[in-house]
Amino acid sequence: MSSRRSSFRKRQKPPFERFKDRCRQFTAFMFSNVGIILLVIIYTIGGAFIFQAIELFEYERFNKHKTIKPNITAKCLQKIWDITVQNISFFDNIYYKERVNEILLEFQREVAHENLIDPDIDKQWSFSGAFLYSLTVITTIGYGNISPKSDWGKLVTILYAIIGMPLFLLYLSNIGDVLAKSFKWIYSKVCLCRICPGVARRRIIRERRKLRQLAMSKALQDMESRRYTSSSSDSRSSNSSSSSYYSEETETSTQSMSALENFEEENDSDIEREIRMNTDEITVPLMVCVVIMISYILAGAILFSRWEEWGYLDGSYFCFISLSSIGFGDLVPGERVITADKDKVEVSFILCAVYLLLGMALIAMCFNLMQEQVIHNVRAIKRAFKSCFGCRR
Amino acid sequence: MSKSMRNSRHNSRAESSNSSSSPSNPPRKRVKRCCRNFVTFMCTQVGVGALIVLYAIFGALSFMHIERKYVDENTAYVSELRHNCAEKMWNITEKFNTFDRSEWQNNTLDILQQYQTEIATLIKNGYVGRTPEQIWSFPAALMFCLSVITMIGYGNMVPRTPWGKGFTVIYATFGIPLYILYFLNMGKVLARSFKFLYRSLHECAQERNKYESRLDALENGSLGALQRKKIIVPSTACLWVIISYIITGTIMFANWEKWSFLNSFYFCMTSLCKIGFGDFVPGASLITAADIDAASLKIKEDASADPEDLFNMQLITDQNSKLAINFFYMLIGMGLVSMCYNLMREAVRMKIKEIKEDTKLCLEDTRARFMGCCGTREYYDEDYY
Repeated sequence: MSSRRSSFRKRQKPPFERFKDRCRQFTAFMFSNVGIILLVIIYTIGGAFIFQAIELFEYERFNKHKTIKPNITAKCLQKIWDITVQNISFFDNIYYKERVNEILLEFQREVAHENLIDPDIDKQWSFSGAFLYSLTVITTIGYGNISPKSDWGKLVTILYAIIGMPLFLLYLSNIGDVLAKSFKWIYSKVCLCRICPGVARRRIIRERRKLRQLAMSKALQDMESRRYTSSSSDSRSSNSSSSSYYSEETETSTQSMSALENFEEENDSDIEREIRMNTDEITVPLMVCVVIMISYILAGAILFSRWEEWGYLDGSYFCFISLSSIGFGDLVPGERVITADKDKVEVSFILCAVYLLLGMALIAMCFNLMQEQVIHNVRAIKRAFKSCFGCRR
Repeated sequence: MSKSMRNSRHNSRAESSNSSSSPSNPPRKRVKRCCRNFVTFMCTQVGVGALIVLYAIFGALSFMHIERKYVDENTAYVSELRHNCAEKMWNITEKFNTFDRSEWQNNTLDILQQYQTEIATLIKNGYVGRTPEQIWSFPAALMFCLSVITMIGYGNMVPRTPWGKGFTVIYATFGIPLYILYFLNMGKVLARSFKFLYRSLHECAQERNKYESRLDALENGSLGALQRKKIIVPSTACLWVIISYIITGTIMFANWEKWSFLNSFYFCMTSLCKIGFGDFVPGASLITAADIDAASLKIKEDASADPEDLFNMQLITDQNSKLAINFFYMLIGMGLVSMCYNLMREAVRMKIKEIKEDTKLCLEDTRARFMGCCGTREYYDEDYY
């Protein structure tokens, strides 16, 4: 069918078709990479609005349904008053204090409970808060500093996660792939070229050498078999010097020997180069990946420690916990800035979201690259083991 | 990584020893091969699981050791604050006596509000109100380690010391790859076994239903083999497995933790999706204030009894067994998710291929028709006949 189609196309105007192909490729690229980024962002923003609406609405309804909250302070006051009235003997100072202390402890617990269960719904579910919430849902970080309190919010969260997580995984794999490819390209262009210009030439040399090696090994085998036959016929000739042996051999063997010598001449320079190249290609990226990840985390640490008045350890801890998608939620971005300044919050939230999205993709890229390296290394080790044991037995 | 290396080494050694003994006697060789297979299986499947468990236990012990050294200066401060408050009240009582109630109330209210705001700021800064010994009990620490390496991160308990934070980072860097290894391995094994189960069931059903048609297929055996190969577990089957697993978990947690079904379901979903908000955490109810919500919400009605203590007393008795079940529920659940991921990827790939072919056919068809309509009759004819 494809052949039919191609023939069909050939009869049509070729330049126009080519242009069309280009266009299609471009749109495909846009859809696959830029489109998916946009999709993730739009999905997150939509989620933010949905959650905000649901939570605020439910909160309003809940509050209307429920009568006025039991005023904790008034309750506590009443209790203390009761004690004071009961315990009218003013001489029992210690006993009184003990009782008051108990009541205060209970009061403290209730205050803690109240603070943890709904600390300012309006502030929590501002647009930035809701955006961060939906981002933590689809990235599976889940800080938990903002979590839905209403039933509908919980259900929608589940649905939202079910749709959003595959989308985000798609984003990760796609962007990770693209980043890995481009990073590899940049790395090969910048780092390898600087160390030793003419990568292509070296590659050609290496390939040629491989071919030659193959041919040589074949020739050596031939020679060996021939030598065996010759040694069986005449043992003395094989024991004599190589020059005499040389002269006895046929044309192919001399060729192979010359190839061998040739190879040995080139050996030191070429092998050195190849080793250097191998080290460049294999071990450095692993280190580079690690360095990139660490530097990204450190950059985030500096950024966040400036915003949030955290120490550098706390900042890097936060970045690590966020980027590895653990997300304890003991340190949360924007938590302190939110009360202080409205404009700064927006900027910090946007930067934080970008930091998280980019960081996840970067980590995916690093894993992509590292996986290649690790697989390569493991294969090499396996081969080495096999050859080692093969030699011994 | 190290595991696979060791495995490969083991394999190669076994192979080489095998090759050396190969000419001697075949039965011995067979036994050896069986042994080797068994050992590799253990190493890859059970071994990784055991490694995860051991790693978690090790982490729990070390976190307990590190975090119990944490001295919370807030605890002393809070108790001092409380004593001060009581002292002030005593003074007020002495001053105003019990006869002037309104005056007394006004003054006391002021003190109480001051106390409340101070406590609130402390709580916002991370004061929990428990000693580290209470927080870092062994089961809780184990749950914490699991939440780190599975990337759930409930956050109901967090390291507070700088050493603890650093150790968490290191622990995660080594634990997460280990967990991913487990995830992939478990997924593969479960997927294979599930596929086998599904296939055998499918064959059973088919044989019962259309025995006649199967007979024809079985007569030339190749066709039967072909059919067997083609069976792909439909994605709905995987979904049913996952859904039933989640419902089991929902019922289990709802019974144990006295949560409502929605909350329990929400907990299971967010845990298996690795989101882990930490507003509900099982088996760790005596750990942080966040869990008091769940407990005290349920026992809000009878405010007379101290809800927390009551709940704790209930829980402490059978926490360990619950914790073990909890731990394995999480681990197996993750494996199941991985299995479904594996199986569904296959199904989705097949479907996408089909859809692609369909669309291709459709496009060809429309194009040919379009060309035919435009008057270039030859192309249409050529393409169609």
